[in-house]
Amino acid sequence: MISLVIIAVIAALSFAVINYSVVKKKSPGNELMQEIAGSIKEGADAFLNLEYKVIARIAVLIAILLAVVVSWQSATAFILGASMSAAAGLVGMRIATLANVRVSNEADVSRSLGSTLKVAFQGGSVMGLSVGGFALFGLLLVYVVFGKLMGEVNPDQLVIHTNWLGINDIPFTMTVSGYALGCSIIAMFNRVGGGIYTKAADMGADLVGKTEAGIPEDDPRNPATIADNVGDNVGDVAGLGSDLLESFVGSLISAIVLSSYMAYTAIKSGNPINSELISAMIQFPLFFAAAGLLSSIVGVFLLVVKKASDKPHRELNVTTWVSASLTLVSGALVTWILFKDLDVSTVGFTIGIFSPWLAAVLGIISGIMIGQLAEYYTSYHFKPTLKISASSKEGTALTITQGLSVGMNSVFLPVVVLAIATIGANALAGLYGVAMAAVGMLSFVAATVSVDTYGPIADNAGGISEMAKLDGEVREITDELDSVGNTTAAIGKGFAIGSAAFAALSLFASYLYAQGGLNIGKDFKLVLNMIDTMTLAGALVGGALPWLFSGILIEAVAKAARAMVQEVRRQFREIPGILTGESKPDYKQCISISSAGALKEMQYPALISVLMPLITGFLFGPRFVGGLLIGTTLSAIMLALFTANAGGAWDNAKKYVESGRHGGKGSEAHTSTVVGDTVGDPLKDTVGPSLDILIKIMATVSLIAVSIFSKYNLIKLLGL
Amino acid sequence: MSVHYYLTLFPMEAMIASQLEPAAFGSYMAIGNRKGSAERLMFIEVFESELGDSFDLDYARRRCVAHSDGRMKNSVYLSVYRALEAVPVDAFGALWLITKDGRSMSLEQSSYTDLDTWDGSALYQELCPAHPLIVSALKPKHFAEYIVEDSTKVTMPAIFFADLTIPDFDGDSFTGNIGGYFDKMMEHLKYCVTELKDGKGKLTKVVDRSSFAAFNFQVIGRGLYIGTSGGRLVFYPMPSREELKKKHYDWAKSASIF
Repeated sequence: MISLVIIAVIAALSFAVINYSVVKKKSPGNELMQEIAGSIKEGADAFLNLEYKVIARIAVLIAILLAVVVSWQSATAFILGASMSAAAGLVGMRIATLANVRVSNEADVSRSLGSTLKVAFQGGSVMGLSVGGFALFGLLLVYVVFGKLMGEVNPDQLVIHTNWLGINDIPFTMTVSGYALGCSIIAMFNRVGGGIYTKAADMGADLVGKTEAGIPEDDPRNPATIADNVGDNVGDVAGLGSDLLESFVGSLISAIVLSSYMAYTAIKSGNPINSELISAMIQFPLFFAAAGLLSSIVGVFLLVVKKASDKPHRELNVTTWVSASLTLVSGALVTWILFKDLDVSTVGFTIGIFSPWLAAVLGIISGIMIGQLAEYYTSYHFKPTLKISASSKEGTALTITQGLSVGMNSVFLPVVVLAIATIGANALAGLYGVAMAAVGMLSFVAATVSVDTYGPIADNAGGISEMAKLDGEVREITDELDSVGNTTAAIGKGFAIGSAAFAALSLFASYLYAQGGLNIGKDFKLVLNMIDTMTLAGALVGGALPWLFSGILIEAVAKAARAMVQEVRRQFREIPGILTGESKPDYKQCISISSAGALKEMQYPALISVLMPLITGFLFGPRFVGGLLIGTTLSAIMLALFTANAGGAWDNAKKYVESGRHGGKGSEAHTSTVVGDTVGDPLKDTVGPSLDILIKIMATVSLIAVSIFSKYNLIKLLGL
Repeated sequence: MSVHYYLTLFPMEAMIASQLEPAAFGSYMAIGNRKGSAERLMFIEVFESELGDSFDLDYARRRCVAHSDGRMKNSVYLSVYRALEAVPVDAFGALWLITKDGRSMSLEQSSYTDLDTWDGSALYQELCPAHPLIVSALKPKHFAEYIVEDSTKVTMPAIFFADLTIPDFDGDSFTGNIGGYFDKMMEHLKYCVTELKDGKGKLTKVVDRSSFAAFNFQVIGRGLYIGTSGGRLVFYPMPSREELKKKHYDWAKSASIF
């Protein structure tokens, strides 16, 4: 069965290479288009290089710490995870900066929505397939090298070991957690750094260029316009890719780690689980993900080879639905092959061997439902967003108020879906079922990321078309593709948040197992005592943490955006002829401001996520951290849904007005919705996507460190 | 270096001499040499040969010379009021519409043809020399005649005006990109149109006297007109949306039409 994973990885990465080559062979258009695209690429490359240098220093420090305190295997897996995540971000950005100009040229040459969509999607698919391929490739290496060759998944090794520091853990859980942490750290930096970069540039370009100078979006006279387009790549492509890769890996390792602890607990309880069954449970997430990856390849292939219609939303939906449906079928087959001869009643599979498959199906269904709810709350085809645009006639204050209301309302139903799915998955296969729900939700991640990445590529293509002064018809094509991308992005965020909730819950269960450590025995109960003072205090602090984290992020965006606004104003003031087109703006200065702001500000939020569980753990012990994780998870899920949906709704309320409603462009309603969109921008593109990474980094760090701070903490030292 | 003559009609009425070509002149007037102003502008190229002696052209030629550093002279004001009435119809060249960020589009004169459809009322923004927003039961040609005709109680020697698209009062929230022009007066506008259509013999009704400054290119309907005494009407048709998209996309985008 391991060959299935190898085939999936090879197929995904090969298909990505083919699509890359096909897109690269397309014509990059005229000289001006190439010059603009070159500037965007140069800015994006420069930022990512600088960003990766900063991350590399921190990653090396963490790796050394892991090697010393946990194990060299965990440290090696950490480096591997970081490399896979960084590679996904890098590949995504490379293809996005290559595809943008080719999409623009395709629109110019073909004047066809369908064929332009195909080029954009083919570019996006390189990212999607790389995310799925790299994530599984890394995990496959970890499983084969550390699990199989070094024997960490052998039944006799799935027990708690004590290392030289006296720290207790199950080696394989630490190794895969190291891998997940590596992915998470890169994702956090890419998301936060990219998010600050892109929003600072976007806000700077809009606030001065559009609002003050009255020049249209993506106008080459706007000094921040290239930085804005660079931001689409570093934020929406590199950030999104490593974020989804991290989510995917997080869901997989949560199931693997949980299986390992379940096995150990069963042994210690005197009811050991059949070693083949344990092995199957550890392998199942990998194989299910491989089935999902192969299904996604088919889904992507269908759109790449067929003659695409002029209905981009439908074409992209077909890809997603085909991938999801095939994942269900192939997942069932994998389940049957893996569990058919095993007695699964001992691990709480209540309706037989298909229990974990059904849990994964629940995950897929709930993911789609959360995505549909996100569309309901953020699309202007539905009431909530229409209410915001209607409120805009009454001024900015009501636009903001109505948007807040929509954002807050939008939290409830997705959370109910998550709650029902959690109960259902648990009823089917216990906590392992909950973990599999997360795996199911992201199993066809290659397809969803392909669909997601196409959006920023189309957005960039629109910018290039505008700057290169291509025909209005061309710009209409790229604009329409861009607007469809906004909806797919909102749906993608729903998947990331939903899977984070499931993964966090199963990681949390593993945390409680790990906290039990050597004391796990017959009487061990997987319970978190919420009325314990320490736990409750931890939950309170944990609940507040995402707010602090979000506040720091928004402040960082505001700071960088202020610098950008001042720079754009300065250029208009000091460089005569920018507006008449006689002089070129200093684009590089704006790029430097966004880069410097992002690189400087991205470190604090990332450090908070790593250090908070460690500091509180060493001060107050594992019960406090248990509360901290629950508090953070609950609060961050709500906040992530709120920020993603409120921001999306404000954005689309503006687009609705711009489509000629309530006076359209230039009206007071438009001004109000522009303010709403500007307020929502850092919420949906910087804060929201970073919160699901925060949850998983904290859970993974806590899982790795719990046995250390269980042993060494201030409370214990003081004998309290 | 030749001297050009421009009759600005919006936002202020003036006759200006300049060494700049029309697009450069429009850009200069809208945004200045350095960022500092941003205003929409409409002006007409005026043929010097047809100008007659209403303006001091010798003064213009004397003053409108390049600066010592070689820069061209941007503007020499020859008159800042009652300029429109002083320009003979034959002197009118192209009409230039300049957006806030300096994008320009020129409209050529066209022979006037009556409206294909008529539902009994039209909305006119008088732009120069008076500025009220009027709803009228008269078609453009008759409206112009009515304003400049001696027999009418209140008249003007010449009038520059635009016919505007009347928003769909009965539709849902779809208005098209018409900007904020009607934001505060939608109900009143609806009332005025209804009253005029009631057929009490009223030919015109003032909708608003003060919204002129907020006038924008998005609301222009069929085109812009200059009516002069003697019944002559100069018509500058506005390009269709399709034509704008094909030939003047940057201007239309800058004017927030797209």
